[in-house]
Amino acid sequence: MKKLFIVFITTIFSIVSFNTYAKTTVTWWAEANADRDPVFQAKLVDAFNASQNEIELVIEFKEGLNDILRTAMLSGEGPDIVETPGPSYVKEYQEAGLLQSMEGYSGQYGWEDKLLPWSYQAGVFNGEFYSAPKTFESMIMLYNKTLFEENGWSVPTTLSEYEDVASKIKAAGMNVFAYGSTGWQPTHEHLVGMYLNSYAGPDNVYKALIGEKDWTDPEFTGAVELLRKHMVDDGYWSGSLENYYALGWDDFHAMFASRGAAMMTIGTWTFGATAAGFADSSDEWDWAPFPVLRDGGADPAYLLALGTTMSINASSANPDAAAKVFDFIFSNKKVVLDMAADFNFGEFVVPLYFSADDIREDVSPQVKRYLVEFAEATGKGDYGYTTWTFWPADPGVHIWKDMEVVWAGDISVEDYMYDHQKMWDKARKKGELLPVGAR
Amino acid sequence: MSIFFSKNSIAWYFILPVLAVHFMVVALPSLLSLALCLTDWNGFGKINYVGFENFYELFDDRYFKKAVWHNIVWTCLFLTVPIALALTCAYLLTGITKGQMLFRLCFFFPYMLASIISCQIWKYIFHPLYGLPAWLNSKGIDLIPAVSPFTMKETSLYAVAFVDGWHFWGFLVVIYITGMYQVDNSLYEAADIEGATKFQKFRFVTLPLIRPIFIFSIMIIIIWSIPTFDYVWILTQGGPAYSSEVLATNLYSQAFDRFNVGYSSAIGTLMFIYTIFIVSIFGVLRKLGWEI
Repeated sequence: MKKLFIVFITTIFSIVSFNTYAKTTVTWWAEANADRDPVFQAKLVDAFNASQNEIELVIEFKEGLNDILRTAMLSGEGPDIVETPGPSYVKEYQEAGLLQSMEGYSGQYGWEDKLLPWSYQAGVFNGEFYSAPKTFESMIMLYNKTLFEENGWSVPTTLSEYEDVASKIKAAGMNVFAYGSTGWQPTHEHLVGMYLNSYAGPDNVYKALIGEKDWTDPEFTGAVELLRKHMVDDGYWSGSLENYYALGWDDFHAMFASRGAAMMTIGTWTFGATAAGFADSSDEWDWAPFPVLRDGGADPAYLLALGTTMSINASSANPDAAAKVFDFIFSNKKVVLDMAADFNFGEFVVPLYFSADDIREDVSPQVKRYLVEFAEATGKGDYGYTTWTFWPADPGVHIWKDMEVVWAGDISVEDYMYDHQKMWDKARKKGELLPVGAR
Repeated sequence: MSIFFSKNSIAWYFILPVLAVHFMVVALPSLLSLALCLTDWNGFGKINYVGFENFYELFDDRYFKKAVWHNIVWTCLFLTVPIALALTCAYLLTGITKGQMLFRLCFFFPYMLASIISCQIWKYIFHPLYGLPAWLNSKGIDLIPAVSPFTMKETSLYAVAFVDGWHFWGFLVVIYITGMYQVDNSLYEAADIEGATKFQKFRFVTLPLIRPIFIFSIMIIIIWSIPTFDYVWILTQGGPAYSSEVLATNLYSQAFDRFNVGYSSAIGTLMFIYTIFIVSIFGVLRKLGWEI
């Protein structure tokens, strides 16, 4: 009887102590990627789990995350930490009441001071913080530095310099830019965004985003017309519009690395692929901001873009623990930069306040310069807007999908921008606009 | 009581589990999807009833009209080229005794390939830098310009249809040849005695006797042409400039790029109605005594 009593007490004690000391599990669904997943597991999940004893972070890597996540969320399920491809998705989830406000956590942990202001503002919906940025990007212009030096070409900073160097590159028998859209039709929006910001200027783009200007204004039609001319008439990208449509990621990187083109307009997610492409070449690559294409000149602006966002599921049973995971990320620049360096700064570049000292020694000087200059320029307010971060869904698709109709000559630039304005009016009326921080 | 245990009822009991599963995973979602066409649902939040607004917008949408036209062109192409080619090859193959299986395998092989593989093969063949025309041009043979037909608005739809047809026609060859082998040989012998030519034997013996299979192939082509998606999506995503946009790519883009689920359901509803219409026509023909 005594033995039985001891066993009973021990069992009860074990159960109670297990429950008392059991870790809270926080689940996170992320898009599967064979190269990246082990790094996330080792450098984020294992590091976080080793840093404390209360929370067990579990990342599940899913193929076709968006579809699975949406289905799960609509049925009140899903992970604690919700990952989306950008603010337009956050907007839909937030409107549907599927996300928890993180306003309280933000105040508690001081996230507003840890994240770059523009990226923080992009997560504020209806006055409350709902989504944190997981990675940021910007559009840049890469060029073959060795080739430029050999030919005595200068990196263009104005429209006249831009067109002048383009004609010299063509005369040398090369393509001006390597780029293409096969496999990812929205590639066009990279170019439209660059031209809108560079020709019309970020201030005007901002005014159009908040409704103080129309997209039919001459600054914007002029930008699209200039892009049409450079794409269709001048064949700046891969030699012709047809080639631009036909080339994919591997093709245009190979073209750039093998002197098939002298420059490449692309997002910063290319750093790894470009470095790999030039690894076996004696040529050296570098980057520069895209030239200012409007009269009068100005400082170049870096286009702001969020690659992926992180939020807390409205049905999460452990929002406090999920917030602690976020705080671990935002408070550990070393962890972030270490992982970002492993991804060649194409992923997990959380927009924190980085300085040159924070960056690992082995990071290439081009990437290091980008990180520092981006932070400095955007800190001064020299930034523009990418379409995939600041455009609502319908106009966001129209801007790239119907661009092809302009390039095909089936519609005038004016009609295209008129349709675009109509879509913005509709989105504004329906309350579908995405957050844009005050300039 | 006995009705529940009659022979006919027992058959229903056996089929009931399958019916239940079908109802849950096919019929019910389809009905719900049909209901969504009268709403402005974005796939996430509140569902608001908007009546026939989606349909009014749809009939005013120039790219929807373009997609409808492309589906018609697509259907016409598949009702002519692959059928004519498959009928001819199947008939010629019936006259081959040695190595016929090899030909059948060759013709059928593309059908066994996944659509992504077929598309990549043809994308590389017409690649402007590394494709066949580019290689020929580099050898001084300028027969074909080194431009991908998938990237020109004048040719993109036909180029995609060609690739899909290339994968599909072998399937038709196999079903036609199966039908042709079922034709009684004595009929051909009789035709020979009457002095019929090869074409006359095909026209007056083979074709009438494989009519059920032939009509069936027409029906499946018309029905399969409506939701055609994978080849278009992989090769052109409906571009350039909507030149290869079809109903299914239009529907997909509206639902998953633009979050207009209600609007895309309206497109799906019209596709469904059209399919029912086609099936009904064949049903009526069967009632009228056609052997189909």
